[in-house]
Amino acid sequence: MRRYFTDFGKAIKNGDVWTRLSLIVMGAGYFGRKQIVKGILMTLIELGFVLFTARVSWQYIRRLNTLGTVQREEIFDPLTLSKTVNDYDNSLLILLLGVIGIILIFAFVVLYIGNMKHVYSLQRLKEQGKHINTFGEDLAALVNEKFHITLLTLPALGVILINVIPIIFMVCVAFTNYDKDHQPPTYLFTWVGLENFEQMFTSNTTVTFGFVFVRILIWTLFWSVIATFSTYIGGILLAKLINDRVVKLKKLWRSIFVVTIAIPQFVTMLLVGKMFGDYGIVNSICNNIGLTGWMQSAGLVSDGLSYIPFLSKPGWAHVTIILINLWVGIPYQMLAATGILLNIPEEQLESARIDGANERQIFRKIIMPYMLFVTGPSLITALVSNINNFNVIYLLTSDYVTPSMKFANSSAKEVDLLITWLFTLTNQESNYKMASVIGIIVFAICATLTLISFSRFIAGNREEDYQ
Amino acid sequence: MKKKILASILSAGMLVSLMAGCGSNAAETGNEVQSGGTEKSSDSEKQSTKVDNADDAIQGLIDSTDGTVELTLWCSETEAYQTTMKEIVDEFEAAYPDVDFDITIGAESEANCKDDVLADPEAAADLFVFADDQLVDMVNAGVLQSIDATYTYDPAETNAVSTVEAASVDGTLYAYPLTASNGYFLFYDKNELTDEDVSSWDNLLAAAEAKGKTVGMEVSGAWFLYGFFAGAGLDMHLGDDGKNVCNWNATDTKYTGADVAAAVTKICQSSAMVNCVNEDAQAFALDGKMIADVNGTWATNAFMEAYGDGYAAVKLPTFTVNGDQVQMSSFAGYKFLGVNSYSKNIGWSMLLAEYITSEASQEKIGVATGEGPANINAAASEEIANLPALAALTDQSNYADLQRVGDNYWDPAATLGQSLVEGKYDDVQALLDEAVEGITQ
Amino acid sequence: MKKAWNIIWKHGLLIILSVIWMIPILWLFVTSLSGYKGINTMHFFPQEWTLDNYKQLFFEPDTVANFPAWFKNSMIIGCFVCLISTFFVLGVSYALSCMRFRGRKQLMSFSIILGMFPGVLSMIAIYFVMKLVGLSDSIVGLIVVYSGASGLGYLICKGFFDTIPASLRESAKLEGASQLTIFTRIVIPLSKPIIVYTVINSFLAPWMDFVMAKLMIKSKNPVDWTVAMGLYKLVERTLVGNYFSVFCAGGIIVAIPISVLFVIMQKFYVEGITGGAVKG
Repeated sequence: MRRYFTDFGKAIKNGDVWTRLSLIVMGAGYFGRKQIVKGILMTLIELGFVLFTARVSWQYIRRLNTLGTVQREEIFDPLTLSKTVNDYDNSLLILLLGVIGIILIFAFVVLYIGNMKHVYSLQRLKEQGKHINTFGEDLAALVNEKFHITLLTLPALGVILINVIPIIFMVCVAFTNYDKDHQPPTYLFTWVGLENFEQMFTSNTTVTFGFVFVRILIWTLFWSVIATFSTYIGGILLAKLINDRVVKLKKLWRSIFVVTIAIPQFVTMLLVGKMFGDYGIVNSICNNIGLTGWMQSAGLVSDGLSYIPFLSKPGWAHVTIILINLWVGIPYQMLAATGILLNIPEEQLESARIDGANERQIFRKIIMPYMLFVTGPSLITALVSNINNFNVIYLLTSDYVTPSMKFANSSAKEVDLLITWLFTLTNQESNYKMASVIGIIVFAICATLTLISFSRFIAGNREEDYQ
Repeated sequence: MKKKILASILSAGMLVSLMAGCGSNAAETGNEVQSGGTEKSSDSEKQSTKVDNADDAIQGLIDSTDGTVELTLWCSETEAYQTTMKEIVDEFEAAYPDVDFDITIGAESEANCKDDVLADPEAAADLFVFADDQLVDMVNAGVLQSIDATYTYDPAETNAVSTVEAASVDGTLYAYPLTASNGYFLFYDKNELTDEDVSSWDNLLAAAEAKGKTVGMEVSGAWFLYGFFAGAGLDMHLGDDGKNVCNWNATDTKYTGADVAAAVTKICQSSAMVNCVNEDAQAFALDGKMIADVNGTWATNAFMEAYGDGYAAVKLPTFTVNGDQVQMSSFAGYKFLGVNSYSKNIGWSMLLAEYITSEASQEKIGVATGEGPANINAAASEEIANLPALAALTDQSNYADLQRVGDNYWDPAATLGQSLVEGKYDDVQALLDEAVEGITQ
Repeated sequence: MKKAWNIIWKHGLLIILSVIWMIPILWLFVTSLSGYKGINTMHFFPQEWTLDNYKQLFFEPDTVANFPAWFKNSMIIGCFVCLISTFFVLGVSYALSCMRFRGRKQLMSFSIILGMFPGVLSMIAIYFVMKLVGLSDSIVGLIVVYSGASGLGYLICKGFFDTIPASLRESAKLEGASQLTIFTRIVIPLSKPIIVYTVINSFLAPWMDFVMAKLMIKSKNPVDWTVAMGLYKLVERTLVGNYFSVFCAGGIIVAIPISVLFVIMQKFYVEGITGGAVKG
C-alpha cells in the first residue's frame, strides 16, 4: 500500500516535463513518447470524467449529506388544464447518482495514479533507450499477455452496474428512513444512523421485529441445513441406485428425474402448492380415503378443520415444504452425483468387496468420504443458496396465513425465510429500510459461512493439484 | 418547508374554488392533505368542482396540444373490461378529432394497483382503476391528482353521495367514481334454498346440513370478517392519526367482542360451513356441493353458470349473538379511476377520466361487466338495476360501511379470523386484545 | 435367488420413485387437457378432455394471455442472454484459471463476497439503475440485467478449466501461440461439456425468472411480457379461475423443448457439473 503511493511520488519528483504535464493533461506523457492514439484516448477519458462529474454527478454528491431538502409541490391550473411543479429533490436519485458519482471518482483516482506511474515508466524506458511499444503492439498485447484485460473488462463493467452499485445503494438505505411514509419522488428520505438496526433487535408489543427476526433466522438456518443435506444424500442414494450394475435402462430412469428439472420452478411449485392447498386435490383424496378423519382422531389435525393443513399451519407447512423440496432438489443432486460416482476408482471398490465389506459398509467407508471430499465446497455453495432459496418458499406459501399476531404485526409468516420476508417488506409494505437491514444480516451470515469453509476447502494452493 | 407546501396548496385551492364560484371551505380542506388523516366525513359538504367556462378551457388545451398525446390506462384484465374500455377510448378519440392520440390499455388487477403504482409512480399508467381501500395510501404517497376541477360533468352531482365521499379524503375528491359494487353479499341456489333459509345463518346452515350440502364464506379473510363485528355494533376504522381505531375487544358494549367471536366460531363449527377463498368456492359450487356463498360481483358469472336457473343473490343473512338476531354488516366497496399526478399529460388524462366515468360510459361498463355503476342514473337504468347481484348489493348497502382501513388491519384480522374458524383458542379475550393491538399499532 | 430379489427390489423402488416424481407432471399434463378452466380440486383427471387450452394459447391471444408474443420475447431474451453470458463466463473463467496476473486472487475473493449479497434486495436498485440509463421497461434492459452479472457465475466453469492439463497450454505457448489462440484453439475445444452446461443454464434463466421480470417490465400490455411473467399472471387470484388449465398448457409447452434439450445433453451436463464440482 505504501509503495503504491511512494511510486506515485517518485513519478512526480523524477518526472520530466511530459511526465509532469500528465498531472494536468493525462495524455501528455504519451504524446511526449509519440504514443499519439493512447494519449488521445487518455485525455478523452479525463475530459469525459471531468465533464460528467461537474455537469451531472457533483450536484447529487453535494446533496448526499441531507439527501435533499426541497419537497415536491405542484399547482394545478384549471384554466389551462396544466400544472406547474417546482424543482424538487428526489432522495432516491441523489443517493443513487451520488453513489455512482463517488464510485467514478474513486475509479478515476486509481486510473490517475496508475497513469502517472505508467507515464513515468515510459520516461524511464526512453531514458534507458529501450523499445517503446507502438499502438499496434499495445493492441497485440491485449490478446496475449494482457488477454485477461480484454476478457475481464466487459464482465467487470456488467458486475459493477448490476451488482456493485445496487448493493452499495441498498446498504446505504439501511441507514435511512426510506419507507412507506418517505417515498420518493413525492417525499424525501434522510439519514437516521443506526435506528433501523436497533428496531430490528428490539421487540415490544407493537414493534415485533426482534421477536420475529430471531424465529425466522432459526428457521432459515434450520431449513438451509436440512434442505441441503436431505437433497444431497437423497441425490447420492438415487444416483447410486440408478447406476447399480443390476439396474436396466439407466438412461430412461435418469431422464424421468431430469424432466422435473426442465419444467420451470414457478410452474411446478405453483402447481404443487395448489395440489396441497386446503381444498386441493391431495386433500380431496385424503378425505375420500378417510385419512383426514384418521388424523383428526389421532390428534394430528385439529377438529376445527375439515382438511389437512399441508401448507397452511406452522409445523405442517414446515414439514411439507421440506418434503416438496426433496422433489425439487434430488434430481439436481442426482445428476451431479452420477458423474462423481462414475469417477470412483473401481479397483478400490473391488478390493473392498474382496475383503468382505458389504454394500452398506462400502457406501459408508468409501463412497461417502470420497463424495464429501470432492463436493465439499459445492455443499457450502448449496447451503448458501438454500438460505437464499426464494422460489420454493415464496411460491408454496402464498396462501399461508400466520396464526401468530406477532408475526402478522411484522408482515412475516412462520414459514418465511429471511429472504422472503425481505421481499414482502419491499414489495407490499414499501419498507425498504428494514428490508435492507435484513439483507445486510443475510449477507453477514452467508459471508461468515463461506469464509469459514473457503479457508478450509479452497486454500488457493489446491488450485494446481489437478493440472 | 411545510409552510411553503401549505401556501401552494392553499393558492391552488383558492384558485379552484374561485373558478368554481364556490369558495366555501376550500382553504380548510386544503391544509389537511399533508396530515394524511381522515375523518368519517359524513359532515363534509357536497362540493361542486365543475368549471364554469369549461369549453374555453378544453379548447385552449386542444390548441396548445401538438404532437401525439400518449396515454396509458390500467384496468382490470378481464375480457369484458378490456373490450369495453377499448370502445370507450375509441369514442373518446373520435370526440376530439383535432388531436392525435395514442392510448394504450394495460391489464392490471385493481387489487394490485397500489403496489405497482407506488413502486415507481413515474413509470405507472396515466390513469388507473383501483379499489377504494387503496385510496388513502395513494393519497398519502402523493400519486393521485386531486380533482380540483371538472369540465364535462360534476361528479358530486351525478354520483351517489356515499361514492363521492369514499373517493374523497378530507373533502377533497381524489378519484373519479366508477363502480359502486365492490362489496359482498350472498349468492345462493334458489332451487335448494328458500327465502326463509337465506335470511339467517342459523336457517341457512340448518338447511344445508339437512341436505348434506355446504355454505361458503372466507371467514378467515379480514375483509369478510369485518361484517360480523361491525354488524354487532363494534367499531373499526382509520383514525385521524393514520392508525386504526378498533374496539373489537370491548367488554362494555351491548354485544362484547367475545360474544361476536363466539358467534363466529359457532357458525364455523357447523359441518355445512366451509371457510374458503373465491376460487375454491367457485369450484365447489360448480361441483354442486356448495349451495350458497358469501362473495362479490366478480364471481357472478361463475355462480350463474353453477346454479343455472336457480341463480339468486340476496343481502347477507343475520346471525345470532347472545340469542339475538343481528344483521351482518359489510364493507361497501367501490372502484375508482385515478389520474396519476406524475402524468405528463395531466389535462388529457383528466378529460379521458371524465369521459370514462361519464353516465353513458358507466352504463356501458355496467352492462358489460355486471358491476354496479357509481352514477345514479346509470345505476337506475333498467338493464342494470334488475341484475340480482346488484339488487342484493343495494339491499346490503343499508348495512354496509365505507372501507377506510389502515394497512395494519389486514394481517392481524386475517390471523384472528383463522383462529375463530378453528375455534382453537384458550382465552378469547386475550386473542381479541392481541388482535386489536396489532390492528391499532 | 438373492440376485433376482436384488434386481426386483431395486427396480420396484425406482418405479415407485418415478411415479412420485411424475405425479405433478402428469397432473400438469392432464389439467392442460381439461375442459374446466379453473383448478380441479375434486378429481385428478379432468371430467372432460379437450385441446382447447392449447388452441387458445397459440391462436386466440386475448386481453391477458398472449402466449405467442411472450414466447417470442423470452426467445429473444434467452438467445441474447445465452450468447453474452456464455462469452462472459468462458472469458472470466479462462482469465482466472489459465492466466496469472496481479490482483487475481483478490478479484476472486471479491466476486465471492459479491455473490453473498441477497439478489432479491438489490432488485429494486437495479430497476432504478436501469431506469437511469433508460433501459427499464424494455427487452434490452432485461437482457442486460440477466447477462450483466453473469461473469460472477464462473466458479464451476473455472473449476473445469483447472482440470485441463497446464502442459497443453505451456507447449502451445512455446510454439508461439498467443493467449487468444490458446483460448480458442485448445481450451474451448476441450470444454464441450462445460460449454453446454453454461449455454443451457444461461438460456434457461429468462424462462424461469418471474420476479425480476415483473419488476423490470412495468408495461401492463401482455404483448410486452415474458413467458414466466405471463404465466405467473394467469394464476393471480382474479384470473386463476378462468386460466388455470391454460396456465398448465403453457407450462407444458415451455417444458417440452427444455426437457428434450436436457435429455439429449444429459451426458454433457453431468460431465460439466462434475468436472467443475471436482474443483468447486
